Amino acid sequence: MIYDICIIGSGAGAGPIAYELTKEGKKVLILEKGEIYSEKDFSKDEIAYVRRNIVTPNLKDEYHTIEEDIDGTWTKFPTYETGWSFWNGSILGGSSNFMSGYFHRLKPNDFKLKTVYGKYEDSNVVDWPITYDDMEKYYTKVEEVIGVSGKLTKYKHQEPRSKKDYAYEPLLEHPITKLFDKACKDLDYTSYKVPRAIISKAKDNRNPCYYSNYCGSYACASGAKGNSRAALLVPALKTGNLTIKANAFVYKLDSTKKKVTKAYYYTKEGTSKEVKAKLFVLAAQAVESSRLLLNSKNKYFPNGLANSSGQVGRNMIFTGGGVGSGEFDESNLSKEELFTRGLFINRALKDWYFTKEFKGGTVDFLFDHANPIRKALSNRYDENGNLLFGKALQDKLYKEFTKKRVFNFEIFTDWMPNDNCFVSVDEKYKDKYGIPVANIRIGAHKQDVKVGNFLAKKAVKVLEQMGAKNIKVNVSPLPSQNLQAGGCRFGDNKKESVLNKNCQSHDLDNLFVTDGSFMPTGGSVPHTWTIYANSFRVADYIKTIL
Amino acid sequence: MKRREFIASTALVGLSTALNSKEVQKLDSKIWLVLEEVYLILFPKTVNMPSSKEFGVISYLQEVMFHSTFKKDDREYILQGAKDFLDSFPNFLSSNSKQKEQDVKDASENSYGNSWLDSLVYYGLEAMLSDPIYGGNTKELAWKSLEHETGLPQPKVKYARHVR
Repeated sequence: MIYDICIIGSGAGAGPIAYELTKEGKKVLILEKGEIYSEKDFSKDEIAYVRRNIVTPNLKDEYHTIEEDIDGTWTKFPTYETGWSFWNGSILGGSSNFMSGYFHRLKPNDFKLKTVYGKYEDSNVVDWPITYDDMEKYYTKVEEVIGVSGKLTKYKHQEPRSKKDYAYEPLLEHPITKLFDKACKDLDYTSYKVPRAIISKAKDNRNPCYYSNYCGSYACASGAKGNSRAALLVPALKTGNLTIKANAFVYKLDSTKKKVTKAYYYTKEGTSKEVKAKLFVLAAQAVESSRLLLNSKNKYFPNGLANSSGQVGRNMIFTGGGVGSGEFDESNLSKEELFTRGLFINRALKDWYFTKEFKGGTVDFLFDHANPIRKALSNRYDENGNLLFGKALQDKLYKEFTKKRVFNFEIFTDWMPNDNCFVSVDEKYKDKYGIPVANIRIGAHKQDVKVGNFLAKKAVKVLEQMGAKNIKVNVSPLPSQNLQAGGCRFGDNKKESVLNKNCQSHDLDNLFVTDGSFMPTGGSVPHTWTIYANSFRVADYIKTIL
Repeated sequence: MKRREFIASTALVGLSTALNSKEVQKLDSKIWLVLEEVYLILFPKTVNMPSSKEFGVISYLQEVMFHSTFKKDDREYILQGAKDFLDSFPNFLSSNSKQKEQDVKDASENSYGNSWLDSLVYYGLEAMLSDPIYGGNTKELAWKSLEHETGLPQPKVKYARHVR
């Protein structure tokens, strides 16, 4: 059979294509690397989902190499040695199953950072080939179809909107938000209410949030979280036009000079199979999408498929920044209030998203994830780094769990694209199938750390004003492995980009890339809302050519 | 203590816990007794907290250690460490509790011993705070002691297998 569309991957970049094109009567095939799960399979099992990484590949079998600057020499470290996994969810719906759902749109100036701030030395910042106006209606569509809840905050950087408010009422909020709001008011900061891709009332096959307190890192057992599977693929399956092949690891695309012709994949048993389609959509998450193109070289594309520009894999971006925390106890809130479980913080600082001198960013606030094992493990040493055991350990655990809560912040800065952040492949490092793995060089631009430190100071002021104790900050040049973008930039110039403004390959007109790979810059926020919105935009374009 | 090659050894005798895995059955019962006794020093019963025996550390280890997702190197390290510990402290099992504490303290003062104990604490905390379906956290004792409310639904099957 020749499908109309073959989609590689099933996450936020893939779901909108399947959802829109199956409604148009097109026969769509999804090749998903992992298993098919549904809500009834999901539980709040810390061992399975957090400690043993059951829903990502075993790093001994399938790994990446991470290339770090060690005393001036770029050195590759296989992730099976370090345990630093860059897989984020190999199941139907991909990493969108496990996101926390902090949803932020980009803003008009995010689409033209080079024009607004100029090009930093040693950076590869470029403007996007589209504007915010091109994307606005798709951001709105995501609010309705994926489901975004919240209450709009009026502040100086608010992006233009076609709808007055979000599609869903805000989720219930934790009592500590009163302290946060007051602190911001005292400091003359805006307490920004963060919209979430979590629905507060039922929608079609999805039940509303039930405040499980185990949200980020866990798949949602009610379907409230706006993951691609629940929000898009389940409805797409109901059309009868969607076929899903699970446990299908696509290792190569074949092509003529002008068209992609076949996708080759390995089954769980290691058997190689192939499929044909009129049009191929690559959405395997940015690192793996670049890897697949680089591993698909042929006589027409000796440097990798769709890579006549030499840009495939270049200018990878993540989010920059860091983290911080402060402790709260019964001197701040009553025990009942402080230990209220499951309710959301949904607060951020965005007053410095743009500054006059430089692009700033976002600081999101949240309580420690509920995971008790992780919390206990982080408390097994004393202040000098010595292992605790016996009564000292037991007493410390009791105190940490029952007397205080740790309130965290996460900083999101633009990851400045640069020549030392890219994906490549190396014949020396292969996975269990014998396919070269992705090497990820993770060089960060020095500006990222400067912005991170700038934003951390603002966040610390809020924590101090709230009365937090034992405040800690860690700003770092290391990437967020779960927030990947770039590697197949879109742009108008064929020599400097991989895709055109419709995320269609400049080289192969039946190849599209719709995960975060297209993004030249990432905004100072998680990328997921933009990936969803862009995929809906590309789906509209595909409707006009197929 | 010196690091010696681990030799999976003689027949199992006397352990009361149900042992299903063939690998578990191959182990010398003394290994488990050493681990159980060392764990009682690492996680003693306190006013607020259950002991390792109460939260079922050994049944947890026997449940998870031979699963494909458990790091083989960690498993061998834990078991080899127990043998080496007993070699270094041959009277440990018959000592009184004060001497046992001292032996563990002595072991913690060299790098191999400290690293081995760190591994035990690591997996001991997993045993203490994981869902009881894995054999530890008996009757959710540790969650109750730490006033921790787990998320729902709790797992009906281990290792995120599909629910039939």
